[in-house]
Amino acid sequence: MKVSVNWVKWYSDIDLPPIDELVTKIGAQLGAVEEVIDIGAKYKGIVVAKVVSCEKHPNADKLNVCAIDDGGNTPDVNRDENGHIQVVCGAPNVREGLLVAWIPPNVVVPSTYDTSDPFTLEARELRGVVSNGMLASGKELVINEDHDGILEVDEDVAPGTPFAAVYGLDDYIIDIENKMFTHRPDCFGQLGVAREIAGILGQKFISPDWYLQSPKNTAEQAGELLPLEVRNEIPELVPRFMTVAMSGIEIKPSPLWLQSYLSRVGIRPINNVVDVTNYMMMLTAQPLHAYDYDKVKAIDSGDKAILVVRKPKSGEKLTLLNDKEIQPRDDAIMIASATRAIGLGGVMGGADTEVDENTKNIILECANFDMYSIRRTSMAHGLFTDAVTRFNKGQNALQNDRVIGKSMQMIAELAGGKIASEVSDENGEIHASAKIAVTPGFINARLGLDLGGIEISNLLKNVEFIFPQVGGDSKEASLEVTVPFWRTDIKIPEDIVEEVGRLYGYDKLPLKLPQRLMIPTQRNALLETKTRIRDILSGAGANEVLTYSFVHSNLLEKVGQNIELAFQINNALSPDLQYYRLSLTPSLLEKVHPNIKAGYSEFALFEIGRAHSIGEQDPYEPDIPKEVNALSFVYAAKNPGHGAAYFKAKHTLSHLLANFNVDHYVGFEPLKNADLYNNPWIEQMAALFEPERSAVLRDKEGMIWGVVGEYKANVRKNLKLPEYVAGFEIDPLLMFLHNKTLFQYQPLPRFPKVMQDITLKVPTELLHAELFRFVSDYLTKHKPNHVICNVASKDIYQKENDPAYKHVTFGITMASYEKTMRDEEVTTLLNGLADEAKQRLGATRV
Amino acid sequence: MSYQNPKIAETAETLRQRFTELTVKTDILKAVELKALYAEIPTLSNDQRASFGQEINQLKSELESMVNGHQPEAEKLLPIDVTAPFDRNISLDKHPTLLPAENGSKHPLIIEIERIADIFYRMGFEVIESREIDDEYHMFTALNFPEGHPARDDYDTFMTVQKDKNGHPLVAPAHTSTMQHRVLKTQKEKLEKGEPIAVVIPDRVFRNEDLDATHEHTFHQIEGIYVGKGVHAGMLIATLKTYLKEYFGEDLQVKLQPFYFPFTEPSFELAVERPSILRKDDSEEQKWLELLGCGMIHPNVLKMAGIDPEIYTGFAWGQGVERMVMMKNGIEDIRHFQSGKLEFLRQFV
Repeated sequence: MKVSVNWVKWYSDIDLPPIDELVTKIGAQLGAVEEVIDIGAKYKGIVVAKVVSCEKHPNADKLNVCAIDDGGNTPDVNRDENGHIQVVCGAPNVREGLLVAWIPPNVVVPSTYDTSDPFTLEARELRGVVSNGMLASGKELVINEDHDGILEVDEDVAPGTPFAAVYGLDDYIIDIENKMFTHRPDCFGQLGVAREIAGILGQKFISPDWYLQSPKNTAEQAGELLPLEVRNEIPELVPRFMTVAMSGIEIKPSPLWLQSYLSRVGIRPINNVVDVTNYMMMLTAQPLHAYDYDKVKAIDSGDKAILVVRKPKSGEKLTLLNDKEIQPRDDAIMIASATRAIGLGGVMGGADTEVDENTKNIILECANFDMYSIRRTSMAHGLFTDAVTRFNKGQNALQNDRVIGKSMQMIAELAGGKIASEVSDENGEIHASAKIAVTPGFINARLGLDLGGIEISNLLKNVEFIFPQVGGDSKEASLEVTVPFWRTDIKIPEDIVEEVGRLYGYDKLPLKLPQRLMIPTQRNALLETKTRIRDILSGAGANEVLTYSFVHSNLLEKVGQNIELAFQINNALSPDLQYYRLSLTPSLLEKVHPNIKAGYSEFALFEIGRAHSIGEQDPYEPDIPKEVNALSFVYAAKNPGHGAAYFKAKHTLSHLLANFNVDHYVGFEPLKNADLYNNPWIEQMAALFEPERSAVLRDKEGMIWGVVGEYKANVRKNLKLPEYVAGFEIDPLLMFLHNKTLFQYQPLPRFPKVMQDITLKVPTELLHAELFRFVSDYLTKHKPNHVICNVASKDIYQKENDPAYKHVTFGITMASYEKTMRDEEVTTLLNGLADEAKQRLGATRV
Repeated sequence: MSYQNPKIAETAETLRQRFTELTVKTDILKAVELKALYAEIPTLSNDQRASFGQEINQLKSELESMVNGHQPEAEKLLPIDVTAPFDRNISLDKHPTLLPAENGSKHPLIIEIERIADIFYRMGFEVIESREIDDEYHMFTALNFPEGHPARDDYDTFMTVQKDKNGHPLVAPAHTSTMQHRVLKTQKEKLEKGEPIAVVIPDRVFRNEDLDATHEHTFHQIEGIYVGKGVHAGMLIATLKTYLKEYFGEDLQVKLQPFYFPFTEPSFELAVERPSILRKDDSEEQKWLELLGCGMIHPNVLKMAGIDPEIYTGFAWGQGVERMVMMKNGIEDIRHFQSGKLEFLRQFV
């Protein structure tokens, strides 16, 4: 919202502090200031001058040589014997006696002021005649778009007056973030912001009479009336629809003061009628619209103009002021003649009833529209106009009669219009001013203050809140506040708290920390588990990554996941964000190739995140999808290492499990033929893994924790992965659920340990885990009492010419708590083990 | 997949059969039958053309996914015993080991979040995570954004094709406040016992924005909630000031700017005096660091969670994480965080 400081001064008699102080104050008590623009700087040195003579240029048909009177104050410029200055001018409208804006030498042309290449004038020859600076056009002066001639000063001022002072250009524009005013319909008008500035400066603001009271029409009545019929068929969406016809309009450019005010706040001047509607909107935040009466009437070819407010008819189309044709959404608010739509109410007018240079009669509309309907229409058609910005904040319909009254008066003054109809007022329900009862105690409790009723009411009275009675300075006596009608945002006592806090100054609130009870703060076990996992894995040389929660459909296809299970994003700006991911690993695999290309030959990445699949609902909130916590780890090396990459990933996973003391609670089984219980996350996550080189991690209760393994050949190919790559994805939630009681300490035996290896030749297809379990179980069962026995896998050997068998070596360590063990005892035990292995597994001891 | 057009359905069947027999699977994409179908498009009338073309494209993508899904036998590696701790024929000194610890790193954003959450934990705040998919009720309605309210526009929210039970799209939360209603509702018994609700919520959030060096569609926020008896705006400022003192290690000035959030009343933006080491010059712009949005929790938000706003009041705030980490470390491009580049990640050990 661009606020003109001069505009604020014009509508109030507040004492403003220096600009820097004012901006700081606004930032602290009204809203963040995006930018402060010093308009006056642009016009420094430019003065009003009078053309005292104007003669044809001797060497150029289209140029004139003028002598101008600048009041004699401009320094360092050549003057003739009369003190006048010679300027060459090519404008067709230059003539003797004209008051003009003169840009002297060494002064910058305002329209180039903010550009990368500001243009500074000098005294130079034009076809042999010296021109001292130039006479400027409206465009060069950034007042309007007019460049056909020079600007004609239309105020009665003496030559030598600084140009900026004539048209209020000695101004600052303070641009306050629109977001700050999302709930403030009034602050989209200069009047509203001026009121707030008074309030935060502790000064009293008084709105103009015409805004506070219902109007007395001062414009002249036309002798002959223009027949106008108005119907509001949807009062529930259009609480108020006021219109009036005016005749005898003379369309022309607005006076320069008005053009200057509009252009400073970013509105392009068009003509006197449109400029008045824009001016009133910028002043009061109430948008208006002017129709060409005769164009509206001509549509129905009847004897009167008809305006109907209604919903669109089926298939109805409308060409808007911006020349775009739209088919309005079903519930849009249409302004129509008897036969067809002519405007999109509250959003944009239609092209064919626009006021133009030939307009003689107008219909002026000042209406109130439902803010939600306006917003939906604006979103549906991508139309974001100044009117939408204001209507969708919820303007109060009470201001319509005041604004239309003032506008009629201005149009009468500036365009010669006369009132040519009744002021039609088609109403739905109009909300009266809110009345709120609140005690100083309520306000103080929420701000930590100790204000009395008088202090509070004074703060609010400055911004025109009304207190029919203030119950003295008691803290508990209720204050009955009447909210001014333009503050449609204030509905509840807490809203009053905000006003008081802001007007008082938040920087003056007393600071106090809440008192704590001596109760331990609850820890979050899942979060702590995640932190521990991060510490363990980064300690194991892996790098934590974060990757997007959304993926391109390509990625899901490349890894062979079922796209139909993935939640689909409807409105992503980027095509890379189409689906919620089904598991984390594909995103990590995407990061492998770029890192190898960047020169990293061996590394591991991990991420902790969430996965989602359609159909799985949250166990605690069945209305929303379930979120699976997932930990994904990927190991990759450019060149193969020793043994399959699988064992690298498994080793890291085992390290992690051991750190959580759950390594004995879970086991690895081949992914091939494993029952995945139709769990969509596990199934989709497992879809990447090569079943013959991957394992499922399953706990003793049968619960699947995740999968560790190498990736399918086509996944490797599609994602340009090296051959030596493996990883795992598991649910970290299970780690902490089972990380409680499993650790068992083994007391240290006093007597020496005995160590022996045993190597068994077994069929290749016998799983190592089965053989290990067999050995452990046998030794546990047959070892003497009071002896501890540890089994460790030491070697797996396979002869090249004998693929059917493998030799597996275990290291057995035993010790007794009661005596020194003899080697023979271990030998006997291992012999027994070998015999049993031969019988049960067909194993031979080697 | 089934096709409406009989000719396409027939071709699809033929090609599926042929695919199983092909030795070079990619040849299926060059099938003459497929080309013949494409050749037919120009001969069709306008109204037939669209649906016919669509189905051919569907068939083509079916074939492509068959090719992609097929594992070329040659590249497939031999089965291994996945229950073993190491591979066969590997000497003891070559058994798998972990990578060197000095290569490891935690993500800089996670390190920062842990640090901030730890400060609040020590101040008595529980730490709770947020969600990555939620419904409109929690993201907007329960936070006093009525349906159709223009304030919803300020949150460029990703929405899904899939709908919730009320027929609204599901959303990717644009702020961690999406957890606020849940926290208030599940912890309100604490208030009756005379204990405050004190929770911080760090997590990732999403805004539908175009990416550039300073804009990410995926970033991190920490939300804080404090509700109790007699909680006022002065406590909000004092609490945040205490946190900032611990965070920056020095006692810094703060200033509040009025702001608008539907879920707080009043609402502020809090700026902190920029620590001198993070200042580029002495300008006013460099002096203040806009750090977080905050305010007193709107009575409607408390009411919707079943908490009486006449008895209990509270405050909430939300802080972004990325900008702080970027500023502290001089990181030049926000996209590095999600890039997975080791060159970037390994600097944060």
